[in-house]
Amino acid sequence: MLTAIVTQTGDQVQVRLVPSETTDTTMPEAVLMSASAEAEATETAVAEVKTPPNPVNPAQNEMLWAAGSFLVLFVLMRYFLFPRLKKGTEARYASIRSNSEGAVQVKADAKTDVAEYEKALDAARAEAAGRVDAARQTVDNERTAQLAQVNARIAAARAEADQKNAAARAAAQGDVAAAVATVATRVAELALGKAPDASVVNAAVASTMEGSRS
Amino acid sequence: MEAIARLIAAEAAAAAEAGTTTGDGLTAMGAGLAYGFAAIGPALGIGNLVGKSVEAMARQPEAAGMVRTTMFLGIAFTEALALIGFVVFILLKFA
Amino acid sequence: MIALKFPEINEILVWKELFPSFNKISLIAVLAVLISSALFFMAGRKSDVNEAPKGSRNLAEIIVDFIEDGVIMQTMGKEGLAWTPFLLTLFLFIYLCNVPGIIPFFQMPATARMAVPMFLALLVWVVFNATGIKHQGVGGYFKSVLFPPGVPKALYILVTPIELISTMLVRPFSLAVRLFANMLAGHILLVTFALLSEALFQANDKILIPVGILPFIMLVFLTSFEVLVAFLQAYIFAMLAAVYIGGAAHPEH
Repeated sequence: MLTAIVTQTGDQVQVRLVPSETTDTTMPEAVLMSASAEAEATETAVAEVKTPPNPVNPAQNEMLWAAGSFLVLFVLMRYFLFPRLKKGTEARYASIRSNSEGAVQVKADAKTDVAEYEKALDAARAEAAGRVDAARQTVDNERTAQLAQVNARIAAARAEADQKNAAARAAAQGDVAAAVATVATRVAELALGKAPDASVVNAAVASTMEGSRS
Repeated sequence: MEAIARLIAAEAAAAAEAGTTTGDGLTAMGAGLAYGFAAIGPALGIGNLVGKSVEAMARQPEAAGMVRTTMFLGIAFTEALALIGFVVFILLKFA
Repeated sequence: MIALKFPEINEILVWKELFPSFNKISLIAVLAVLISSALFFMAGRKSDVNEAPKGSRNLAEIIVDFIEDGVIMQTMGKEGLAWTPFLLTLFLFIYLCNVPGIIPFFQMPATARMAVPMFLALLVWVVFNATGIKHQGVGGYFKSVLFPPGVPKALYILVTPIELISTMLVRPFSLAVRLFANMLAGHILLVTFALLSEALFQANDKILIPVGILPFIMLVFLTSFEVLVAFLQAYIFAMLAAVYIGGAAHPEH
């Protein structure tokens, strides 16, 4: 059950519906204030204050305002604001893309230049290496020739020395053999009473010396 | 925390009503209980859901974006049950 | 003790009319439209193509990128990009209706009144059904909704009513209720703690005055939590709308 409470102040009429159980017939302060504020502002004689409805109930006026404003925003967004923003974004993307393509081009050019430079560098390097090799070859040849010369000289000197050595050794051997033969002949003469044949003594001496040497 | 706060609000509202009749008191109590019980299931559900999602994101950080989207969808569906309880609470109080 | 009377929930939601039928909720809705169109109008002005976007253009492009990459690409794929303006409008409108809940002097999210979420949910319902009918024809659409492929024939007795209810009734209902109840609950929480700390700060018993700092800290914490909720609810609403529209356009997903 609801009870309507009507209050009149001057030419202002205020209506409030309250549950019948409630004994409180005064206006809530906030409502009073707002009601009088509105009355002053709009100069309307009547300020309506309804009972607060169930909070789950959708209020028709609020729904209409929300629907209207949402649809306005949607139409604006769909046909005007969003395409305009998107156009700017696309323009920027396109410019970035073309810039980056230009950068890629420049990079490729630079790469070609670098490749050419490296090619020239390689050629120069190869030439230098060739020259160095040739010089080294010459030096090597000279060195081998000189080495060979020196070796030959050394070999000749050694051969000469060997020859002298051998001659000296042969002479010494001859002397020793002659001395040994003389001694042997003398020993045999003393033992046998007659001088042995020189050739037999010589052969014996030679064979002994050969045997002892080996 | 939120649920407790809501319950406190409900009970405070119930206490404000207490001056009237027993029926009103019972309604208020039922309203508070409606929300309290309605919050139990979704609370477990959301806890489980978010925990598993975090686990999945930690295991596979590269799938984090997808997992997060699905997690929010799941939370939205699970939470709806608790919110329906909240609306029932309001309806019980005002219908 | 302190004298503390919490207002009825419906009392904290009803606002006087600035002029007939136009109250705070309508004002917030209109302001949301004005702010977002002003932002996108400023953002759309000619700008140097060689410069990084800044100011309003930067902000608007971040929002658009968020809708395109965070909502559409995740749920509908590339062919859903044509829906960007719709989902962008949805997201912006809901966000700007949510955010006054924590802005001083507004202190009321427009979406905490059933009218706004209900309208948006009905709109999404109409849009996704229309999309399904447009893409698959009336018969095809209802066939794919009521008789999802890959289900044994006998199970259709069970599946068809469930699908009918969940697609045609539960979807718009849960969309509307989710947004409405989240914002209303947040609003009630803020009101509760604000009233509690006010009552404690003005208590006759002097000992109670410092205690008032506790609900006040909670109030600050909840306010920052509402910042997150305002964004999250707009995001979830837009994402669910995208999922529904994408599902209606391409039933195989």
